[in-house]
Formats: sequence, C-alpha cells, structure tokens
Amino acid sequence: MANTLADLWEAYRSTLGFAIVNALFGLSTYAVLSVGILSFATVTYAAAGGFIGTQLALQLHWPTLLVLPAAAVAGAALAWLAALILLRLDSHWMALASLALVLLTRVVAINATGLTGGVSGLSVPLFVPFVVMPALLLIAVLLFWRLGASWYGIAARAVREDAVVAATIGIPARRIRMLAFVISGATGGAGGMALALMLHFLSPDTYFINVAFTMIAAVVLGGSYHWAGAIIGALVFTVLPVLAQAVLPAFEQVLNGVALLLIMIFLPRGLIDPRQWRLRRVRAR
Amino acid sequence: MALFADQLVNGCALGALYALFAIGFGLVFATLGILNAAHGTYASAAAIAAYFAVDALGVPFPLALLLGVAAAAVLALAVDQVAFQPLRAQGGGMLGALITSIAAWIVLDNLADDATGHQSLSFPLSSYPSGMIHLGAIAFARMQGWTILAMAAVTVAMHLLIRRSRFGAAMRAVGWNEAAAALSGVNPRAVVSATALLAGATSGLAGVLGAVLTQNVSYTLGEGLMLKGFAAVVVGGYDDVRGAAVAGVALGIIEVMTAQYLSSSLRDGITYALLLGFLLLRPRGLFGSAAFTRA
Amino acid sequence: MTALLAVEQLGKSFGGLRAVADLSLEVPRGCVAGLMGPNGAGKTTVINLLSGLLRPDHGHIRLDGVPIEALPAHEIAARGIARTYQNVRLFAGLTALEQVIAGCFLQRGASLLASLLGLPAARAAQRRVRARAMELLAQVGMAARAEQLAETLSYGEQRRIEIARALGAEPRLLLLDEPTAGMNAAESEAIGRLVHRLRDSGVTVLMVEHNVRLITAFCDRVSVMNFGRALVHGTPAACMAHPGVQEAYFGRRDDAARIQALR
Repeated sequence: MANTLADLWEAYRSTLGFAIVNALFGLSTYAVLSVGILSFATVTYAAAGGFIGTQLALQLHWPTLLVLPAAAVAGAALAWLAALILLRLDSHWMALASLALVLLTRVVAINATGLTGGVSGLSVPLFVPFVVMPALLLIAVLLFWRLGASWYGIAARAVREDAVVAATIGIPARRIRMLAFVISGATGGAGGMALALMLHFLSPDTYFINVAFTMIAAVVLGGSYHWAGAIIGALVFTVLPVLAQAVLPAFEQVLNGVALLLIMIFLPRGLIDPRQWRLRRVRAR
Repeated sequence: MALFADQLVNGCALGALYALFAIGFGLVFATLGILNAAHGTYASAAAIAAYFAVDALGVPFPLALLLGVAAAAVLALAVDQVAFQPLRAQGGGMLGALITSIAAWIVLDNLADDATGHQSLSFPLSSYPSGMIHLGAIAFARMQGWTILAMAAVTVAMHLLIRRSRFGAAMRAVGWNEAAAALSGVNPRAVVSATALLAGATSGLAGVLGAVLTQNVSYTLGEGLMLKGFAAVVVGGYDDVRGAAVAGVALGIIEVMTAQYLSSSLRDGITYALLLGFLLLRPRGLFGSAAFTRA
Repeated sequence: MTALLAVEQLGKSFGGLRAVADLSLEVPRGCVAGLMGPNGAGKTTVINLLSGLLRPDHGHIRLDGVPIEALPAHEIAARGIARTYQNVRLFAGLTALEQVIAGCFLQRGASLLASLLGLPAARAAQRRVRARAMELLAQVGMAARAEQLAETLSYGEQRRIEIARALGAEPRLLLLDEPTAGMNAAESEAIGRLVHRLRDSGVTVLMVEHNVRLITAFCDRVSVMNFGRALVHGTPAACMAHPGVQEAYFGRRDDAARIQALR
C-alpha cells in the first residue's frame, strides 16, 4: 500500500510541479489582465528569468535557492522596460506587440549563445527539494491575495473597467499599469526559473508560443477576475493532457483544443467568477 | 549582380506567399475584429488536400490547386461557424475569439500532423510546372513566376472587390459597426460567411503554392506562414489589401537578402524587429488610415 | 479673495468645430453654480476640460489661483476637482461600496509595501477608508445598498453612488454633469437637496443642468452658454429673464412671430 502510494507520488510529482509552473505563468498573465491588458510577454520574462537564473548558478555559483528571487528580479526589470514600450499602444496593438516580443525572444534565445546555449540548448544541472515548488506558489498566492485586498486591488479593477473614469477619481492609471507589468514580470521570471528546475534543460523552444497559449488558456478557463482562476485553470490545463494521454493518446492535443473551445463557448467568464457569486447573493435575498 | 537578381526573385516569390496569407488574415481582422490564430491551418489543410488529390487520385495540378483552395475556404467557414459564431451570438470580445481561434489552431494543427503521418511530404516533381524560366540573365522556377502572378492578381481583385463593389461596401460597413450595417440593409451573417470563405481561399492559395515552392506539405507550412504573414499585416496595415501585399513582398525580399548578405540566423530577427518597430512607430501600418478604429 | 475656480479665455476646437470659444467664468467658494445652455452649447466639453480629460487649445483654468489646465486628469483630481458623468459611468462588477472605496483612492494613506505586509498602520488606513466610504454612501442615502453590485441598481441609485464615488476624492469642487437626467420630479428634488447639503458641508458645486426649475430652486448663480461662449452670468432669475437666454432656448422673438404668421 505504502509502495503504491509512493509510486503514485513518483508518477504524478512532476505533473504537480508543471502545474505549479503553469500556475505561476497564469498568475503573471492575470497580473496584467487584471488591469485590462492582454499580454503574451510573460514568455519573455520567463525566458529572462530562466536563462539568467541558470547562468547565475552555473557561472557565478549562486546557491540555487537564491537564483529564484534573482530570476524574479530579472523578469520584473525586463517587464518594466517592456511596459515603457507597450503602454504607449492601444489595447489590441499592445497584445500584438507583446506577441512580437515573444517572437523576438526566440530569435534572441537562438542567437545569444553565451547566455542561452543557442540551438543546442542549455543543460541545467540544478536540483532543489520538491517542496520548493509549492512554497514558491504559496509565496505568489500570498502576494496576489494581499495585493487584491489592498488599495491596489480595487484601483486595478477600476483601471480595468474604465481607465478614464479611474483617472478622474485620482487613480494614476499608467502607474497602476506599470506596477501590474512589474508584478507580472516578477511572477513570470520566477516561473521561468522554476520551469528550468523542472526540465533540467532549456532550449529556445522552451519559452515560446506554446507557453503563451497554455497560460492564456489557463486564465480564461479559470477566470480572469480572481487570482484563484489562474491557478485552477493551470491545474486543469496541466492535468488534462496527462489524462487525455492516458485515455486517448493519439488525440491528446486535439482533445485539449476541443476542451478549450467548449470552455470558451460555455463558460466565457471562467470557472472563478466573483461577479456571478455576487449576483447570486443579490438574488438569494 | 546575377545573384542579387536571382535572390530578388526568390524574395518576391517568398514575399508573395506572405502577402497572399496576410491579405486574408487582415481581411478577417478588419471586418470581423478577430485575430485568427487558426488562419495558418487553412494553408496547411489546402496543401494537404491538394497533395492527396495529386498523389492518391492522380488529379492534374491546376485542378488539385482549386480543390485545395476550396477545401481551405470551406474549412475557414466551418471554423467561423464553430469557433466564432457562438461568441458573436453572446457578444463576446476580441479576447474570447482569440482563445477559440487558438483552440481551433491546436485541433487543426494536430489533425494535419496526423494526416501527413507526422512527417513533411512534398509534391512529386512531375506533378506541377517545374521548369525554369530565363529572362535575360535572371533564371527562376516556373512556379515562382506563377506565385508572383497569383499574388498580383489576387491583390488587384481583392482591392477592387473591397473598395469598388457593393459587397465590399457591405464588408467595410460591418467592420465599422455591425448593428448600424444591419439597420441599413446589410445582412451581417452573409458578409461574415463570405469574408471567412474569401480569407480561407486566399490562405489556401498561399498554402498550395507555398507547399510547392518550399517542398513542404505539413502543419509547419501554415505555422511559418502565420508568423510572417502576421508581421506583414502589421507592417502593411490590416485594413488595406495593397499594404499587406507590399509589406508581404518587402518582408520576403528583406528576409532573403538578410540571409544572403548578412547572416541566415538574423533572417527571422529582422522580420520581428520590423514588426515591433512598426507597432510602436506606425501602428496602423504603411497604408493604414489614422481614422480607422475598431470598437 | 479669489474665486475657487476661474476660467479665462478657454478655447477648444474639434476639427473645424469650436466647441468652446473664449469662455470665461468664475465659481466662488461655497456656492452651487449652474451651467446651462441649449444642446451642443459646449457644456460637457467644459466639464471635460475642467477635469483634465481634454486639453484646451488656449486659455487658463485656475483652481484657487493655481493654473491646472496642463495637468493630467489624476493630478487634477488630487488637486481637488471630482466629477460625475452625463451617462453614469460606474465600474462593472464592483459593489456600491467598492465603487466608493475606489473613489477614496487618494485617501488610501498607506504604501503598497505596508499594505502587502499587513502592517497595523495600513490596516488602520484601510478600515478608515471603508468607514469613510460607508459614511459617504449614507450621505447619499445608499447605505442599505452597500453590498450590492452597482449595475443591478436603478438608474437614480447609480447616480447617487457616482456622486458618493466622486466625493471619495474629498474634492473642493464637484462637477456634476446633468445629475438629474432621466429622473422624475421627486428624484430631481432629492438630488437638489443633496447638492445643498454638500454645499453646506463645504463642497463647491458646478452642475450642468437642463431642468430650469431645479436651477432656479437650487443654484446660487448661473452661467448660460451658447455656441461655446458665455452668454450671461448672474442669479438664476436674472439669467432666465435675459433676452439672449430666452432667444437661445426658444428662438428669436421675430422667428416666433414668423412661425405664428405661417400658421
């Protein structure tokens, strides 16, 4: 009995680890979506965090646990720079420009061989106890929970719903959005390093469009109006392929796509929808 | 000099594919407000359909080309009905349609990968007009010539259709304001369906021609076109067919020349840097009108 | 003593259309001022200029003598001008209380870091903001609706919440853009009384209003605009009697005579 449990744990531990990484990416996407910005640039922050963090450990021999916060800082700094550029654009141009950033990221990853190992990739011989992964997610959850409960949370919702009105009650919309980018960058950067620790190998394709689409899908499924949505969505979108592979291995990806389509059509606001709870509360009276 | 001229033609032919692809992609964005991530899969599907028509049924190439284009058009209409129509009915925004298009992309890409047996196929050399044409010192493949001609013809036809015909006016009206268009007697459903068909057909044409030029019949064909076609749309401006055509050809030439004279590792980087630069400095593209906005 | 708000030679054109042309007006401290004029006279443009949503082409806007026309909207709010909108613009998905808490953003009183760490000072500030928001809701008579989603409330209730949200910024000058549009006589009266209470609590009010009865009953002074210019300033009664105002609203006397003749 104990053996089977241990086997199960061995088999699914990595799934859990990837779910946590995807949750971090989802939270990073949620951070900007919660101020009304659709950005794919989380992939870029993740790449920065992953490559820079790994090199800090390999070249400068930083302890692995110190590399995670360093990756968050790298992601945040890059996000701040990205925000300086992206915030000049209107909403859907911003989404397109962030997609262009993702494409450029891959080009840089291929060509900056000193940092990334180029096309041949970069081996990451770093190991941390598994508990670091849930701990990382816990820290992120604490951060988003406290943010959501603070004045930032309500200001972000105001900016998301109507940035003009928000400005006329004194909310500096641009500064709130800058802040959202930095939070997104820090979460994405840490997630990128966590992914490196899970995979033990990085290539230019590690941080590319598939990551962007997984995280967007996770946020949409979970719901983009509450941080918990990103986590639940990431969990589903990590477990779903594993399940699909067990049931119908040939059509794993197809099933993913179909699931995403159905969710979007039948659950457009996602699983976690605070507005629905409130409407129900009103009706219950 | 001859090398330069040859590469110029190569660039034009490659760019013609991007342009064809970009025209349909931009059309959907301007008229339907959808950033369609599945647009590339229509190209792959057309190439696969044409390939099997040639390979399994022995259909002559021109007919196979038409079959491929028709298949892509029907597929685009089907995707529109399944993935976009339900959201339109709910009044969902751009984000929702982007997500469902990603879903359609995942599904269709994987089906395409299964259809080609997880490998890249190519049209048998004898199946299409494969000779070389010599124009003075320049030599280029017959299919390159056809591709450039097809792009030019489609550009002119689409431009006339959108700017000069009643149907084009209806399309632009729906792009501006669907409700108002409906009130003034335009049938939005018909316009939407026709737009999807046209977009699918142009993407399919790019797909079959691209499959021959690059000797690649697989899902990666559509993905490659998607990334570059997207850049062409942004650089050219999505609400103008001429812009997409010029930008597509220009990107093709820049790409080939970069690979030839600078470094082949920079060819994608230059394209994407241009993409980002245009988004920042001229977000409405080369020909885009400043007044154009989409709610 | 300078007026709280002084507008000098303000101008704003859209394309070829001069929405506001050399407008000058003053709002003294502690009064309820009305801004009237026929449709298209440029009243909402004035409100948008005052709140920083539009940049004037020329002219000055002074709040307590300090020019503010070049400041961004959130700075202007911080200097003490808050506003409501002609077509109510509340935040979707927020409860009535949260709308007003958002309005209290300038009173947040704690750094983000302190809030993240849950320091006692930050928690106290948050409680203070919440209490203040409840107080404001009570002031506009909406305390019972605090926990309801704003979009589920009636139009008149939403207008009141919008006023409470604007008050959250602790403005010296409150701009109300047609606060009684779409309301019946009783509801309009109630808004008028609310505006008087606000004035008595020290908030100066400038309101765009069509309802002549309301203006006469509740405004201390009125400015009438037509074609982007100020036609006349003065007491409500004096303004209503002004022939230019009569003409702006009802057409020229000889027009009327001609219409009579045509009949």
